[in-house]
Amino acid sequence: MTEFPKDAAPIVPVDRHVSLARRLKAMGYRQFVYVVASHHPAKKTATERFEVAYALRTVGKGSELASWRVALEPGQAVPTLSRIFAGADWQEREQWDLVGVRFDGHPDLRRIMLPADWTSHPLRKDFPADAACPPWR
Amino acid sequence: MMIQPELELEDEHDADLMLLHFGPQHPSTHGVFRMDLLLDGEIIVKATPYLGYLHRAVEKLCERLAYVQITPIVDKNDYVAPMTNEQALVMGFEKLLAVEVPRRARWMRMIFAELQRLASHLLWLGTFTLDLGGALGGGSTLFLHCFRERELILDLFEEVTGARFHYNTHTIGGNRHDLPAGFAAKVKAALDTIETRIPEYEALSVDNSIFVARTKGVGVLTGDLALELGITGPVLRASGVDHDLRRDAPYHAYDEIEVRVPVEHEGDCLARAKVRFAEMRESIRIVRDAIDGVPEGPINGFKPVRQPTQVKATSGQVYVAIETPRGELGTFVIAGSDPATSPHRLKIRPPSLHALSALPYILPGVTVSDAVAILGSLDPIMGEVDR
Amino acid sequence: MNALLHGAVYGAVIVTVLLTITALGLWFERKFAGRMQSRLGPTMVGPIGLLQPVADVLKLLQKEDIVPRDADRPLFDLAPLLSAMLALAVAAVVPFSPKAIASDLDVGVLWVLAIGGLTVIPTFMAGWASNNKFALLGGMRAIAQSVSYGVPLVLAALVPVILTGSLSVSGIALWQTHHHWIVVWPVVPGLPAFVLFFLAMLAESNRIPFDIPEAESELVAGVTTEYTGMKFTLFYMAEYVHTLVGSAVAAALFFGGWDGPFHPGLVWMVAKTLLLFVSVYWVRWSLLRLRSDQLLALCWKWLTPIGIALVLFAAAWVEFVPGEL
Repeated sequence: MTEFPKDAAPIVPVDRHVSLARRLKAMGYRQFVYVVASHHPAKKTATERFEVAYALRTVGKGSELASWRVALEPGQAVPTLSRIFAGADWQEREQWDLVGVRFDGHPDLRRIMLPADWTSHPLRKDFPADAACPPWR
Repeated sequence: MMIQPELELEDEHDADLMLLHFGPQHPSTHGVFRMDLLLDGEIIVKATPYLGYLHRAVEKLCERLAYVQITPIVDKNDYVAPMTNEQALVMGFEKLLAVEVPRRARWMRMIFAELQRLASHLLWLGTFTLDLGGALGGGSTLFLHCFRERELILDLFEEVTGARFHYNTHTIGGNRHDLPAGFAAKVKAALDTIETRIPEYEALSVDNSIFVARTKGVGVLTGDLALELGITGPVLRASGVDHDLRRDAPYHAYDEIEVRVPVEHEGDCLARAKVRFAEMRESIRIVRDAIDGVPEGPINGFKPVRQPTQVKATSGQVYVAIETPRGELGTFVIAGSDPATSPHRLKIRPPSLHALSALPYILPGVTVSDAVAILGSLDPIMGEVDR
Repeated sequence: MNALLHGAVYGAVIVTVLLTITALGLWFERKFAGRMQSRLGPTMVGPIGLLQPVADVLKLLQKEDIVPRDADRPLFDLAPLLSAMLALAVAAVVPFSPKAIASDLDVGVLWVLAIGGLTVIPTFMAGWASNNKFALLGGMRAIAQSVSYGVPLVLAALVPVILTGSLSVSGIALWQTHHHWIVVWPVVPGLPAFVLFFLAMLAESNRIPFDIPEAESELVAGVTTEYTGMKFTLFYMAEYVHTLVGSAVAAALFFGGWDGPFHPGLVWMVAKTLLLFVSVYWVRWSLLRLRSDQLLALCWKWLTPIGIALVLFAAAWVEFVPGEL
């Protein structure tokens, strides 16, 4: 536990990430671990972008994690992994709900944590953490 | 709140089906959780779970807090096993900040994690038999006995940290509280008591013919579906997949001791119960072996800071996972740059959420009574599902 | 006229005594269950918690009576009353001592079985009239369970009838004082018939392990979900009285009623009834609940064939063993 790899996972182009997932699953990375979307607002050195990080894992001794990222323009959608991994279903719904990244081809992309008539995506950086929200009836 | 109408009754045959709202206020839903069940008599035709009743925006909150301030918040995610919640979190930050944890702290964390696993499984057993037998009947007898034993473990934690629940004893770089004198003897006394009681619990549960009749063959989950859904922990091991992060991707001090992983192959509720019983025994054995061998030394490898804002991380993305009583709990952190004292994105990967996502697959075809048993055997904690 | 007055007086006394024993039984059950669960039970209200049932009844009396808007009012209101009345009505034929019986019917066993079988009707009334899906599910399960378990109940009750040749409960008890307790001899139809009767009585009064109509962990409160206040008290009390009277009937049919080694009388009857009552809730606080289809399978695949066999055995015994009857 003395090495600390801190380099972020490699960025994979949007159109290649589903085939990458399929190949990884065939190679033995059969366990679905996470989908995490994050919003990176515009800065002096970079434009606004979204990133979606994925990870899969092998099972058994010597379990390894395979993780990659997909970089998206605002409004761009990423193809869904729910055809290959059933666990991506709810995870992608949660990221759509909270961050607002669309997943193309998802069978049922609707909100999971927040009420169905909520209008914004709270985990975006332009949603202030101390915003006054209307009371939820 | 708008009720999402995906359970539309399409053709005339569907008029014979009854829509039952199971929850959010219900004695057996393990927290605020709702399922819409479409019933044909007593058989479930379609089940749609609804989450989010306990959503407290923990991840958004953590984007405003400094790294050292976040630990008490995640205690409240999986409120039944707070030790392992904290451990997953601080391990993620330690990896981000490149902090080495001293050996004594790693051994202590391992002992806390195993005691927490034992306490959590005891609570699971009590609530599971409550589901099967009712609060006004045989279930509550076993429930109260399990809580009596769990109090022994909570007393041990109170000795160390001062709190029975929600300890806030882990910090970046190690632990906050050291083991008091005489702790090893108290731990062994408590474990001896619990070990004599476990056969009694087995006699009232997995060896009881009514329990077996209620759980055998009920809610079978195949190993392949469990892997695809991302299910981990006892549910995965009961479906025949031999995978445990303590042995396969060791952390704390698990690489220095032997961890025997119980595996069952039927994938039904009875198999999950047997796996959890075996894990209880295994935890007792691990703590017994480890409590005498805790190395001396410091318990924290991080230079103490005066202000929370002195802990900064400028870049990096890490994911760290540990094996909690429910499965793989992971912390995914993206270091923030503005401000550098808070994470840019913190995501907790909850094992119970993946366990619940199996419900639409395994509930159709079982009765309402079986649905209660299945939900109990998956051991979901809504605090970590919704965060 | 004399019989009517006799019945009224004895009936009033018996009902009062039953309700008092129910209240005491509530206290004892909670203490007993508490000790089984390594806790104390009620201790605060009155000395050793003896006034706890009084406190419970007072609390329930002053609760608001909430009726769902679309509930079927006549049925909703009538169900708890009917449930309590039917449970108490069975006690009319129970012989508490050679003289103390409210109504010495010649067909007492038939009365017990018929009125006991009617108790499913208020349960289903409650389930239907509540306009609540949980209550409806509970009601449907109650009908399936009560109708099914009526069969082993009848078969088990037939064994003492055949062995003694009398349909009157006090007549059966009298026969046992002259001969021997049915549960003791003949052992083979006697003891299994008692066990069958006990199980069927548990199922008829919806006690664990057969309490799926009010399965609290699945159906919130089953048929009684929408009931509050006094009506809930009546349901709760009706279940208790049903169990108590069922124990009394079992004591009379199988254990000889008021018979005892010395000074036969009321004391023995009360002792036997209470012993069976305690074992009913000993079972309740130890066992888990069977699923409804497993319950029905148990009834039809096991209890009913065994019951038929026992009846045939009893008939053969009476026919071929000399000196009986």
